[in-house]
Amino acid sequence: MSWLDAGGSHAAAEAAEKGDDDGTVHGGPGGPGDGRRGQVKPPRVGTARSSGRSRTGGKYWTPRARREALVFLALALPNIVLIAFFTYRPLFANMYYSTLDWTLGAAQATAIGWGNYVEFFTSSDASTVLGITAVFTLATVGGAMLLGLLVGIALNAKVKGQGFARSAIFAPYVLSGVGVGLVWLFIFDPVYGVLSWILRGFGASSPQWINDPKLALLMVIIVYVWKNLGYCAVIYLAGLQSMPKDLMEAASLDGAGSFRRFISITLPLLSPTTFFILITSLLSSLQAFDIIRIMTRTGNGTNTLIFESYLQAFSTYNRAGYSAAISVVLFVLLLLLTGLQLRFVERKVHYA
Amino acid sequence: MSAQFDRRRFMALSGLGLGATALAACSGPNTSGGSGAGSTAATDWSKVKPAAKISFMSSHPGTSQPIEQTLIDAFQSANPNIKVDLITGGSNYEEVAQKFQTAQAGNSVPDVVVASDVWWFRYTLSSTIVPVDDILKAVNDKTNDYNTTLYDDYKYNNSHWAVPYARSTPLFYYNKDHFKAAGVPDRAPKSWDEFAQWAPKIKAANAALPGYANVYQYPALAGYAGWTLQNVLWGYGGGWSKEWDITADSDATVKALQWVQDTIVKDGWAGVSSKDAVSDMTAGAVSSTVSSTGDLVGTIKAAKAKNMNIGVGFLPGGPVSASPVCPTGGAGLVIAKKTSPERQLAAAMFVSFMTNAANTAQFSAATGYMPVRTTADMSSVISKTPEIQVALDQLKVTKSQDYARVFLPGADQEMAKSAAKFMNEKADVKATMTALTATLEGIYNKDVKPKLKS
Repeated sequence: MSWLDAGGSHAAAEAAEKGDDDGTVHGGPGGPGDGRRGQVKPPRVGTARSSGRSRTGGKYWTPRARREALVFLALALPNIVLIAFFTYRPLFANMYYSTLDWTLGAAQATAIGWGNYVEFFTSSDASTVLGITAVFTLATVGGAMLLGLLVGIALNAKVKGQGFARSAIFAPYVLSGVGVGLVWLFIFDPVYGVLSWILRGFGASSPQWINDPKLALLMVIIVYVWKNLGYCAVIYLAGLQSMPKDLMEAASLDGAGSFRRFISITLPLLSPTTFFILITSLLSSLQAFDIIRIMTRTGNGTNTLIFESYLQAFSTYNRAGYSAAISVVLFVLLLLLTGLQLRFVERKVHYA
Repeated sequence: MSAQFDRRRFMALSGLGLGATALAACSGPNTSGGSGAGSTAATDWSKVKPAAKISFMSSHPGTSQPIEQTLIDAFQSANPNIKVDLITGGSNYEEVAQKFQTAQAGNSVPDVVVASDVWWFRYTLSSTIVPVDDILKAVNDKTNDYNTTLYDDYKYNNSHWAVPYARSTPLFYYNKDHFKAAGVPDRAPKSWDEFAQWAPKIKAANAALPGYANVYQYPALAGYAGWTLQNVLWGYGGGWSKEWDITADSDATVKALQWVQDTIVKDGWAGVSSKDAVSDMTAGAVSSTVSSTGDLVGTIKAAKAKNMNIGVGFLPGGPVSASPVCPTGGAGLVIAKKTSPERQLAAAMFVSFMTNAANTAQFSAATGYMPVRTTADMSSVISKTPEIQVALDQLKVTKSQDYARVFLPGADQEMAKSAAKFMNEKADVKATMTALTATLEGIYNKDVKPKLKS
C-alpha cells in the first residue's frame, strides 16, 4: 500500500516512535516508495545483543522475546492457516489439475503433462481468448479511468448537491454484478429492451446486442465501465482533494492557465492515485465474471480468459484439466503484469 | 487472566477450524488408472432397508417447483419413514449438472438428480450414477408401462440409467391473431416450404404493429439450438450424425442449414431470439417460434393475461421427410452412485413415485411436459389445457436424437456456436459445418470412443 502514502514523513515518524522501544527498528529515511516501513527485525536479535542486564544469561529466548513470538504467532497464525488453506492449497491443486486430462466429476483422470497447455496455445483458442481478454481489459480499465478522472474533477467542483452527486456516481460500484447485468439486459434486449423502444421511436431497429459477438463484447464493456466508473471517480476525487493549494496558486501567479495547471501539476501529482487505480482495476478487469456470465451466457464473443476457463469446466465441456490450464495462464499473466507494474511503472510515480 | 484465557481459547478455536477444513477438504481425481469402482457386485436389495432421508436436486424445469414440492409431500405421507429434501440446483440443466459433478469431489452427493438428455450419458460414462433396472424391480416398479421411446432413450450397455421425468418435444407455437390478419390457415404449417409461402403475407399484415420484428423467431442460441434445429435437418434428410458417424457437413445437412440462413439473411422474415423466443412471442414481437412443450402451460397462461391467442401444432416437415421430424428431449431422474444402498433404495422408491401414472399426469398438467407412463389418465388434464393433446399426438411421431448432440460432451455448445456463426454472423454454411464436423469428431475420438463399452 506504499503507493497510497502521501509522503514519507508519516512513515518516518512512526518508525522513530517504534525506535524508542528497543532500537531494533530500522526506520527508513523517509522518502519515495518507502516500502520498508514497519519491517521489524525479529525481537530476539536486538534483545539478545543489547540487553546486558538480562538475567537469563545463556538462554537464547528471553521470556519477553518468547512472549512476543507467541503473540505474533497467535495473531498471524490463524490468518496464515486460512490463507494457506483457501488460497495456496487451491492454487497448487489447480496447477496439478492443469496437467490432467480430467472430466469434471469423474473419479479417474489421466496425467498428460503439458498437454493442456500445448493444446491451448496451438489451437485457435489462445488467439481468440487472449485477444478478447486484451480488448476487454484495455477498454474497461482505460474507459473507467479516463471517465473516472473527468467525473472526479467535476465532483471536485464546489457546487450545490455535490454530496448527492458523489453518492449517485459511486452507487453502481456497490451494486451486485448479477443485478446490474440483469437490469442492463432489459435495456439492451433487441425485442423488448428500453433501448430498442427508443430506437424504434426514431424509426431505427435495434442492433443485435446479444447475438452479434462484437456488439456483445461492446455491451459488456459499456456495462462494466458504467459499474466501475464510480470507483475510479471517488479515488481520483480523494487525490484531488489532497492537492496542495499553494502550488496551484503559485502556478496561477506565474500565469499558467487552467489547462496548463492540470497537465503540469494536477496530473503528475495524481500519479500515485493513477498507479493505484491502474493496478486494482487491471486485476479486477482480468477477473471480471459476474456481468459477463449474466449478460452473455454462451460466451460468444465475450469469452475472456476467466470466462473461458469457467465455460470449459462447467458449461457442457466438463474439461476440468483444460480449464485449470487456462486459469494457470491467467494467474501467470496477472503475476507478470503486477510485477512489471511494481518494477517499472512505479518509478514514474511522483510522491509529493 | 481473562485476556490470556481468551487468547488460548482463540488458538484452540483456530485449531478446530483447521481440523474442520482438513475434513471438508475435497480430494482430486485418481490418476493411478484401472477403475475398480466401475464393476460393483450386484446388491441384494431385499436385505436393504431404505434410508430415512434423501435429497432431490432439481432445476424445477417448466417452473415446476410448486408441483415438485406437492408430489414430495404426497410421497412423505405415503412413506412416513422417508424424508425428502428438495434442493434447487440452479435455473437450468447445466447448472444442476455443474453442482452434481462438483459434489462428486466431496462426501455428500444428492441422491436423486434431474439430468437432461445431454447429461445422463456422461454420468454413465464417468460412473457417477447407478443403473435403475434392478433397483426399480426391488421397489416393485414393473417399468413396463413407461413410454417405451422415452424410457429406452436411457438405455446403454443393456441397462437403463435414468427414468423419464420432465420429458418434452419441441412444438410449433404461433400467434393466431397474426395468422388471421394475414389470411393464412389457423394451424401450424405442414412443411417449412408451405410456411415460406405464408411468411411474406404474415409479415406484410403485421409489420405495422408496434415493436413487430419477425414472422418466425429461432430459439435463443443459449437455449439448445442443436435440439430444435434437428427438426429442419431431418426434414432435409440430414442430421448431426448417424449413430457415431458425424454427418454435420453432409450435403443434406448443409442444404438444410443454408435454408435456415436464407430465411434470416436473404428472405428476411426470420430472426434469432436474444434470450427467450417464447417471451418474444408473448411480447407480440414475433408471430411464431418453436419451443419445448415444457413451456406450454406457462406460455398459454402468459398469453391469456395479454389477451393474445396462441395456437400450437406439430413441427413442420421438410422436402425429403415429412415425418418423423420431431426429436424427443427433456430430462430424466438419475440415482447417484456415491451414496449407500439404503439411500439408493429410498431414492428408487422416490423416483418410482414421482413418475407413477397419477403423478406424471399431475406434473404434466402443471407444466406441459409429457406424461411418461402409458397408463397415465390425461383426460382431466386435457379438458383443462386442450393444447396438451397436440403434444401427446406428436409424441407418437418422434425420433430419438442424433448421437452427436446428446452423447458427445460439449457438442451442444459447439453446435450453438456454429449456429451463431451462420445465423448471426452470415458465415459460410459449408465452411462452418466442416469445422464443426472436425470438432465433433475430435470430441468423439478423445472423450467418448475410449470409454465406450462393447
